[in-house]
Amino acid sequence: MKTVSLTIDGKEIRAKEGEKVLWVALDNGIYIPNLCVIREALQSPAACRLCFVEVEGKDKPVTACTEPVIEGMVVNTQGPQALRLARTAFELLMASHPVECAHCLSRDSCELLKIAPHLKVRLKIKRLRGLPRGLPIDSSSPLFIYDPNKCVLCGRCVWVCRERLGIGDISFAHRGFQRVVATFGDEPMARARCSACDECVTVCPSGALCFKDGKGPKEELNRPVEKSKS
Amino acid sequence: MTKEQVNHIQETRRILKQFSRKRGNLIPILQEVQGKLGYLPREAMLVIAGFLGIPAIDVYGVVTFYNQFRLNPPGKHSIRVCLGTACHMKGGYIALDAWKRRLDIDSGETTPDREFDLDTVACVGCCTMAPVTVVDDKPQAQVEPTKVDGILLSFELEKEKASKENL
Amino acid sequence: MKVDELSTITAAFQGIKERAESRWQKLWHSGQPVILVGTATCGRAAGSLEVLQTLRDEVKKQSLECQVIEVGCMGYCYTEPIVIISKPGYPSIAYGHVNPVIAERLIKEFILGDNPCLEFVIGALEKNEFVPSFSEFPRAEYEQKIILKNCGYIDPEQIDHFIASGGYEALVKVLGMPPEEIIDEVKKSELRGRGGAGFPTGEKWEICRHSRGRPKYVICNGDEGDPGAFMDRTILESDPHSVLEGMVIAAYAVGARYGYIYVRAEYPLAVYRVQVALRQARELKLLGKNILGSNFSFDIELFQGSGAFVCGEETSLITSIEGNPGIPHHRPPYPAVSGLYGKPTLINNVKTLTYIRHIIENGAKWFAAIGTEGSKGTAVFALAGKVVNTGLTEVPMGTTLRQVIFDVGSGIPGGKCFKAVQIGGPSGGCLPESALYLPIDFDSLSKAGAMMGSGGIVVLDEDDCMVEMAHYFLEFTQWESCGQCTFCRLGTKQMLEALGEITKGKGKIEDIDMLAELAEDIKAGSLCGLGKTAPNSVLSTLRYFRDEYEAHVKEGRCPALMCQELIAYYILPKKCERSCDACVGTCTVEAISPNKDRIKVIDKEKCVKCNTCLVACPLQYNAIVKFSPPDQVPASR
Repeated sequence: MKTVSLTIDGKEIRAKEGEKVLWVALDNGIYIPNLCVIREALQSPAACRLCFVEVEGKDKPVTACTEPVIEGMVVNTQGPQALRLARTAFELLMASHPVECAHCLSRDSCELLKIAPHLKVRLKIKRLRGLPRGLPIDSSSPLFIYDPNKCVLCGRCVWVCRERLGIGDISFAHRGFQRVVATFGDEPMARARCSACDECVTVCPSGALCFKDGKGPKEELNRPVEKSKS
Repeated sequence: MTKEQVNHIQETRRILKQFSRKRGNLIPILQEVQGKLGYLPREAMLVIAGFLGIPAIDVYGVVTFYNQFRLNPPGKHSIRVCLGTACHMKGGYIALDAWKRRLDIDSGETTPDREFDLDTVACVGCCTMAPVTVVDDKPQAQVEPTKVDGILLSFELEKEKASKENL
Repeated sequence: MKVDELSTITAAFQGIKERAESRWQKLWHSGQPVILVGTATCGRAAGSLEVLQTLRDEVKKQSLECQVIEVGCMGYCYTEPIVIISKPGYPSIAYGHVNPVIAERLIKEFILGDNPCLEFVIGALEKNEFVPSFSEFPRAEYEQKIILKNCGYIDPEQIDHFIASGGYEALVKVLGMPPEEIIDEVKKSELRGRGGAGFPTGEKWEICRHSRGRPKYVICNGDEGDPGAFMDRTILESDPHSVLEGMVIAAYAVGARYGYIYVRAEYPLAVYRVQVALRQARELKLLGKNILGSNFSFDIELFQGSGAFVCGEETSLITSIEGNPGIPHHRPPYPAVSGLYGKPTLINNVKTLTYIRHIIENGAKWFAAIGTEGSKGTAVFALAGKVVNTGLTEVPMGTTLRQVIFDVGSGIPGGKCFKAVQIGGPSGGCLPESALYLPIDFDSLSKAGAMMGSGGIVVLDEDDCMVEMAHYFLEFTQWESCGQCTFCRLGTKQMLEALGEITKGKGKIEDIDMLAELAEDIKAGSLCGLGKTAPNSVLSTLRYFRDEYEAHVKEGRCPALMCQELIAYYILPKKCERSCDACVGTCTVEAISPNKDRIKVIDKEKCVKCNTCLVACPLQYNAIVKFSPPDQVPASR
């Protein structure tokens, strides 16, 4: 495999040609916010729009999860245009996410709480309207609670259920603002086959799926990969 | 299982005979089934999912994504208010308000007596006759609030006539 | 290609063509009158099927030797139903607004008698001494029909009509050419995709040709979802074979084996006529295995779109054919490299593909001579809204908006003033009067803040509120957003909420700036074309009509008297006629009643602002007026 050299935020890096900028950055200790992309998946849905970076020679910011690295590439994760887009995207998510961190069972593992300070965005968004979705909270499962209002539609739970476990009991349903992760017929989780398995809960970044006791394992899907010693 | 549900399943199975078990056939199958049953009941979706060998939620995801598919039985008469640009400018939204007021339902709903279902449609291409309401597949020209009352009255009269004849 | 293969193809087609031509000749030159009835959707909506039935009944009743055939739409939708009568000794004459009574008269007086009923005439098809012909109409000076040429003149359900008018000759021609040469010809023509973005067609074909992966696919994108646009529908309903021919040529050029023609299920007639056309083309071996006896095989399947505007976007159209919700994905990879089932897929709009046969027939030079520097050929527009001649038109690129609206469209009805033109559908923008001089082409329109889009032109007059229009279009795109990416799902919703509050007079001045900022971010940050263009209606109205936004926010006033929450109806006591009760009788919510002087008064609490009374009030009194803001209405006595 051919390797190329590039710089991210001034740091000189060697990486596999064609690897996505996001992974190269994360593996080299440079954090770029992201929610919807999964390293193991073939393709990024590029849906959350948080991982914008600026690339020298391109007039518009690009999403790091879809941008392959090439020789001599100069990436800036802190460019004003990229940050503006990432901030707006994050603000949009937060404006329809109930901010009740004090009572939230997932506050310790919440990725939104990690992204906010990184982008220097306050949790309560002043310039936008609150757009609550008003969906019922599903606590039918004995193990976990599903609050679709907190969901950021990253699709990690859908992916784990379908690709890793081969079950496919939950997926996206409806369209537009109504788009939601649901079971067949929008039924409570306990009535669907999935009530006993909790793999989806371990990967949820936003507290939409959380264990009833507030504990339980959490898995970081996009962990940086240790560089091999060779 | 009710008799209606059994019937739905049988009809669905019959339609499935024309198709191969290819995922790409999902939308054509749903169109056929809805064309036959008027909507896509839960049991039909489950049969289709089984036939194609895909999770039921995938069928549900497709059904809830596209405007064409409905999860509830339609009314006896379908009312489709055109909200294309030309109709909108000539007061399509006023006509929609009038229908909502008179039928006492929201767009996308069916009256409790299952007589009417109300929906909007994004341009039926009869822009010269705006505002248009498609009543039982026939585009009606210049449907203003007074005409809404007129159309409903004609249904009422028809119904009365029919019930008298049955006596 | 081998010489003998080529001669097989030519011989096979020769037989088909001779048969078609002899039938065509028999139709037109047998000394019998021929009656054409426009039965595209626009005609049907106006009642052309009843007219057709009457004509057929009369012909039977009178035992006339006379052919009555169905044709598509000529583009003069404002005067549907249209009937064309071609009687020996007369020019072919088109009649407008025909109803069953007129139809009966036409048979009795013109076919049986010798009175061409001039009072119902729109025009003649060819120049003559009695009746003005279409070519003498002022609009003819600006129009140039290439892809609409057959529309309304041939029976779309008879392949012979298409072949007799030169159809499938381009296909025969390309079957003898190396694919590279065809692509080169399309490239030289400088044809750009007519779906909206204007990507060079030849380049797309070349990329697809050179992409590895088999089988390759060709998809015709007929998912015309813009409210107020009906060009693709008209072509599919009036001349479906011209689209199929373009697809087969494209398939040959890129090396595709299978094709899909994606038509909205909301267009049942187009679906039906495409199905008929596919069957007929297969019967004559113009489609399917070994086309015309050559080694080239290509077949097309019809796919009915289930109603999602986003499926007009090519990547989501493809996921939709694969049996999924129409969710777009990031490009690259472009479909020409990795499309349907991950294979190279050429995807072109209906109009783009329709141009192909003309380019092959007449040469790239001919095509490139029409239009402007960066935009070659013609543009097809659906004219709708506040314009006299609604319908379809085809004009060379570079024609100005003024010419299209005022010369082709005959201007604004009812003596009202022009205010703006919305061009390009929900993805396009609103342009003001100062933009009327703009030549219509891909680049000048996008520079002005609109876009070519798929070609809908909606004319707005003084009674249309620009904030409301922006709200209308945004409501559409917001509703049609697939919901995958954050900007489109939540950003357009934020904008819509703010706009909604402004139209209700509850907006804040900061909202206007917030709208502009958010619109820019959505444009730059969205994943697909739908999101990237969704804010255009807001951005363009903010750019040209900011004063209207400010009137709504600062004064609670809707200058066009359109926003319902900001207007009130009032009956001028001095003008109200005591003896007239027109408004009282017509009010659907019983909000109007006479006072003790028998002057009518509107109960503001009950009034639903449906405008019915204003229409009902006799012109000589003209007593009902709208006020904005509503508190301007004098207190009732």
